[in-house]
Amino acid sequence: MKTVCLLILLAIVFLGAPSHAEEPQTIVFLMWKPNQPEVWDRLIEYFHQTHPNIRVQVQIGPHSSTESHAIVTQRLKNKDTSVDVFLMDVIWPPEFANAGWALDLTAKFSRKEQEAFLPATIAANTYHGRIYGVPYYVDAGLFYYRKDLLEKYEFNPPKSWHEMLAQGNVILKEEGDPTLHVYSAQFKQYEGLVCDMLEFIWSHGGSILDQPTGKVLVAEPPSIQAVTFVRDQIIGQAAPQGVVNYEEPESLEVFIQGKAVFHRNWPYAWTVANDPERSKVAGRVGVGTLPAFPGHHPAAALGGWQFGISRWSEHAKEAWEFVEFMTSFESQKILAIQAGLAPTRVAVYKDREVQDKMPHLKDFLPAFKRARPRPVSPLYPMISQELQRFFSRAIADSQTDVQDLAQATSARIARVVQMEAAVRR
Amino acid sequence: MIPGDRKLYLALLVPTLLVLLVFVVAPITQSIIFSFHRIIIGLPQLKSPFIGLENYQELLHDSVARHSFWVTLLFVSTTTFFELLLGLLLALLIHHRFPGRGSLRACVLIPWAIPTVVSAQMWRFLFNDAYGMINYAIFGHGVAHYIPWLAKPGTALFAIILADIWKTSSFAALLILAGLQIIPEELYQAAKVDGANVWRRFWHVTWPLIRPAVLVALLFRTIDAFRVFDLAFVMTQGGPADATNVLQLYGYKKMFVEGWMGYGSTISVSVFVIVLVLAVVYVRMVGRRLLEASL
Repeated sequence: MKTVCLLILLAIVFLGAPSHAEEPQTIVFLMWKPNQPEVWDRLIEYFHQTHPNIRVQVQIGPHSSTESHAIVTQRLKNKDTSVDVFLMDVIWPPEFANAGWALDLTAKFSRKEQEAFLPATIAANTYHGRIYGVPYYVDAGLFYYRKDLLEKYEFNPPKSWHEMLAQGNVILKEEGDPTLHVYSAQFKQYEGLVCDMLEFIWSHGGSILDQPTGKVLVAEPPSIQAVTFVRDQIIGQAAPQGVVNYEEPESLEVFIQGKAVFHRNWPYAWTVANDPERSKVAGRVGVGTLPAFPGHHPAAALGGWQFGISRWSEHAKEAWEFVEFMTSFESQKILAIQAGLAPTRVAVYKDREVQDKMPHLKDFLPAFKRARPRPVSPLYPMISQELQRFFSRAIADSQTDVQDLAQATSARIARVVQMEAAVRR
Repeated sequence: MIPGDRKLYLALLVPTLLVLLVFVVAPITQSIIFSFHRIIIGLPQLKSPFIGLENYQELLHDSVARHSFWVTLLFVSTTTFFELLLGLLLALLIHHRFPGRGSLRACVLIPWAIPTVVSAQMWRFLFNDAYGMINYAIFGHGVAHYIPWLAKPGTALFAIILADIWKTSSFAALLILAGLQIIPEELYQAAKVDGANVWRRFWHVTWPLIRPAVLVALLFRTIDAFRVFDLAFVMTQGGPADATNVLQLYGYKKMFVEGWMGYGSTISVSVFVIVLVLAVVYVRMVGRRLLEASL
């Protein structure tokens, strides 16, 4: 905090002073309040040391993604030149690109440079072949399991959903605890439901949108079968019926109270599950990639944050230097070790020091490599609402006709896709 | 009237009118204007063309909106009915003279005094399937079988209805209590002399005289129930399967989550019109009764 105040003071002093060629150029970086502000301060301090010609002024907004979105878009919509660099949630880049708020970085962020990053994070920042953001850290759906229980019954972590059910049923039968469940995850009607259900659909070879053609695939057999599987085998079966109103915290609670053998959550759950103060299963947790359906690859929904540069920035060159620095190998390494955030550069995972200090990161990597962005569209929030409605209706009632629902949803999403296409023509 | 008075009256009205203009008339007008335009935050290229009644046509054919309307109507009718019934019983109870009446009257108002968001959060915990008090009360500790209240469409709507009844019955009670207090004691004494039992005294003395108060409570509760938002927002986010997706929540999601400002405004304006029509009907009805009662 002190550093931030100091920086703001410095910025005021420098802005107030008559400008000379040698004087540092101030750029404004709009972000949210991080969990470990000291790590960010340290990184920016390094940047100032290595780039004496640039000063970074940090502006802190609210932490929630939705509120943060409101603030960033408000300033960009008004062509506010006082913001140079900002952070974007993984579902924003298409909207920012389409609205012309985010600077097209294709010329600066070369293809070759992009290859150093996890492919899904690049895909999420790409809109119609141009790139608009540089991935900073990554989130993805991970599969947590009770290492002790699997070892006790001599099971390997399940590779398929059916294997998970079979193993779980054996463990439940042998343990004889009526409050123990096989699985716990997020199935409330909200954004998390889309992530969880997409992972089932993707791991069954299905999809929501064929991105280049815009064809909606919700009502195709692979998607429908995956949704039906969740309804018939997971909800009220492997997982308690209550998951239909669970977000991340409630579903994690079931797992850390030792009431579920398997659990789907984001990387943050690792620290919580292994904290002896909060978790009854600390030290007895394994993590890896989510299972898949036989003959298909596992998948994970992609989350995480990226740097973007404002189209209205008058210091795009300096802004780019800052973004380049913050997303460099060294910076990501510091962020991983000191703040526990998962890097987007693959090479960081192979670093000796990172492996020593963060041994669990290597278990996350396969899931990150399998991570896929949610449908890339500036109208994603509309698509998401339709999907939430469809999934919730399909799983909350075992009598619903999934095929019927899927077709209706498909038609509604097709309309949204058309709206977007009509604007681009 | 002294000539200077009129000017003073007008001057004193100005602040109220200004507040109404800024905080009531302006936003409503803005919403109505929005509802005739196509405004989508994610597609600024669209600008915001005037599209006449297209949004309203869309609303008529929107099956989700229709579903939301029925959910809202079910919510309004059940909550209003039970709130008036419970409110009446509560009012009769706290109208009686007995030791500790003052503190009981205060206690009855507690649910109503708690902000809805807070009480919604409380009910969400109470209805939690794994650690909620309601399942604990019914099924005891550590059992495998229980009711996942908020995870089933039927019970989720029931939970929200119950939370609303708990919260606002006391408001209805307060209004009806006011009606009870204006009934002169002599009427009851006269009825007693005539040999009327408790039941007859209620139907022939109490009920006709508190009817205007009950109607006022009915008016407030129906209108307020139509605007329900926070209970569903906190407890279920409209789920599961849209079972608690009340109209105002649907409009909110269209506007602020999907960025579809024009269509979201159309939903708000429609709720506004429904409430307005109801209010006019009720005020005419209640107004006449009130006049009759005071004559």
